[in-house]
Amino acid sequence: MEFIWDGLKQAVDLLAHGDHDILVVVETTLQVAFWSTILALALGLPAGLALGLGRFRGRRVGLAVANSGMGLPPVVVGLVVALLLFRGAPLGELNLLYTLKGVIVAQTLLALPLVAALTAAAVQAVPTGLLEQARAFGASRAQVAGLALREARVGVLAATIAAMGSAFAEVGAVVLVGGNIEGETQTLASAVLVRVSAGDYGRAIALGTILLGLIMILAAGLTFAQQHERRGPLGRAS
Amino acid sequence: MTPAAGAPVVRARGVTVARGGAEVVRDADLEVAAGEVVVLLGPNGAGKSTLLAAIAGLLPLAGGTIERRGRVAAALQAPALANRTAAANVEAALAWWGVPRAQRAERARAALRTIGARGLADRPARTLSGGEARRVHLARALALEADALLLDEPFAGLDAPTRADLLYDAASALRDARRATLVVVHDRAEAWALADRVMVMLDGRIASSGTPASVFGDPPSPQVAAFVGFVGRLEEPHAVRLFRPQDVTLDPDGPLRARVTRLVPTEDGVRVEVALDAGHLVALVPVPGPRLGEEVRVRLLGGVRFARDRVERA
Repeated sequence: MEFIWDGLKQAVDLLAHGDHDILVVVETTLQVAFWSTILALALGLPAGLALGLGRFRGRRVGLAVANSGMGLPPVVVGLVVALLLFRGAPLGELNLLYTLKGVIVAQTLLALPLVAALTAAAVQAVPTGLLEQARAFGASRAQVAGLALREARVGVLAATIAAMGSAFAEVGAVVLVGGNIEGETQTLASAVLVRVSAGDYGRAIALGTILLGLIMILAAGLTFAQQHERRGPLGRAS
Repeated sequence: MTPAAGAPVVRARGVTVARGGAEVVRDADLEVAAGEVVVLLGPNGAGKSTLLAAIAGLLPLAGGTIERRGRVAAALQAPALANRTAAANVEAALAWWGVPRAQRAERARAALRTIGARGLADRPARTLSGGEARRVHLARALALEADALLLDEPFAGLDAPTRADLLYDAASALRDARRATLVVVHDRAEAWALADRVMVMLDGRIASSGTPASVFGDPPSPQVAAFVGFVGRLEEPHAVRLFRPQDVTLDPDGPLRARVTRLVPTEDGVRVEVALDAGHLVALVPVPGPRLGEEVRVRLLGGVRFARDRVERA
C-alpha cells in the first residue's frame, strides 16, 4: 500500500512544483476534453432534438443507432478513424493522424452518440403540450427547439457531463489516432498507460490522481449547475 | 392591419377534419367577427377542440376552407407552463409571438393584471395551483393581442368556486372590440357568461347557432334540445313536447296531474321527477318539496314542440 501513498505524495509534489511535463499533459487533456465536448454538443444537440422531437421516417432507427453508439468500443472507433486517416486513405489528405486535431475528432465521434441519445431522451420527457402550445402561439422551429432544450436542461447537462467524462477517461482511440506522443498528443489517461507499462507506478498513480481530481472538479461544477437548474431558475424569457 | 369591429376575422366554410382516418369534424361553417365572443358548445367527443385546432392552423383540413384576417392565437386545453415564473411564461409567449423584448415585461404584467393574476407574476410556475396556472395561461393568450383568440376549455378541471371566479374575470377580460374570440366549453353556464353567440356542436357538425337565449330557449332540433337541458317529454298525437326544468312548476291549481317518481336534493332545492300519462317531466322546487309517490298538479310555462318523426329520427 505504501507505493499508493508515495504516488499520491508525488502527485502533490508534481503539481506544487509546476512540473513542466505534467502541465503539458494536463493542458493537452483539457484541450481534448474541451473541444471534443464542444463539438459533440454542437452536433449532438441538434441531432438529439431531431431524434427526440422530429417526425420523419427513420427516426426510430436513428435513435437505435444513437443508443447503441453510447456503447461504442473506443478502440474500434480509434482503429476506424486511424485507418481513414492513414496516408492514401479517404481522409489521409487531412493530415490528422498523430495530431491533436485527430485525437479531438476521434473523441468527438465517441462523445457524439452520448450527447445525441441523452438529449433525445431528455427532450422527449418535456410535456408535448408545452411545445404544442408554443407552436400555437407562433413559435418558430428554432424557438420550439430552444424551449425544449431549456426545459430539458437537467438531461442536457447530464449529456455534457457524460461527454466530458468520456473525453477525460478515453485511452484507446487517443493512442491509436494520436500515437500517444509525449508533449503533443498524450493525455493524462494515455500517459498513465505508458507509466504503468514502464513499471513507473508512482508516476502513474500521480497522473491518475490528477486526472481523477480534474474529472471530479469539472463534474462537480456541472452537477452543481444541473441541480441548481433542477430546483428551477427564475429567469426571464429568452 | 387590425380588422374593423364587426368584420369577420375568421371564416370557416365546409370544414372537414379527419383524425386517425375518421372524420371528426364534418362540413362545419363558422364565422367570428371582431369584437365578438363566440362560444362553441358540445358534449365530449363532439369535435370542438379539433375544429378549434384546425382554425388555428394546427391540423390539416380534409375539406373546406378557412380564411383568417390577421393573426390567430390558440390557447390549448392543457395550461402547460414552462419551468420559470408566471411573468416569464407570459414574456416567453410574447417572444414567440414576435413582440420586441423592450415591450414584453410591461405587456406581461398588464395581461396578468387584466385577468386578476398580478400577484402571481413572480411565482414559479411549478408552485401554481390548477386555477392559478389557468389564469396565467389565459393571461399569456390575452397578452398577445391577437386579432383572433381561440380558447380551448379555459375552465376545465377546476373546482366550482375557482371556476366561477375565473369565469367572471374572463367574461370581462375577453370583451375587446378589436378581437374576435372563439371559446370552446361544454358547460351551459360558461356559455351564458361569455357568449355573444353560441354554436352547438354535436357529432362533428354545427347543430345550432344563435344568441344564448335563442339556442338555449328555442333549440332547432330535438338533439340540440336534449343537449341544452330539455329533459322533460310529453307525447301529443303528432308531436312531442320537450321541457326544461324551468318550464315546469308544481302548482296545486295546475291543469296536469302527475305522480312523483324521484327526488334529488340540489344546492337550490329539490329536483323532482314526475310521471304523467303522456310522459315525464322534471321540475326544480324549494325544499322540502313533495314526497316520493305523492300526487301533484303541474303547470307548464314553456317548452318546445317537434314533429314526432323528427324526434324518432333523433
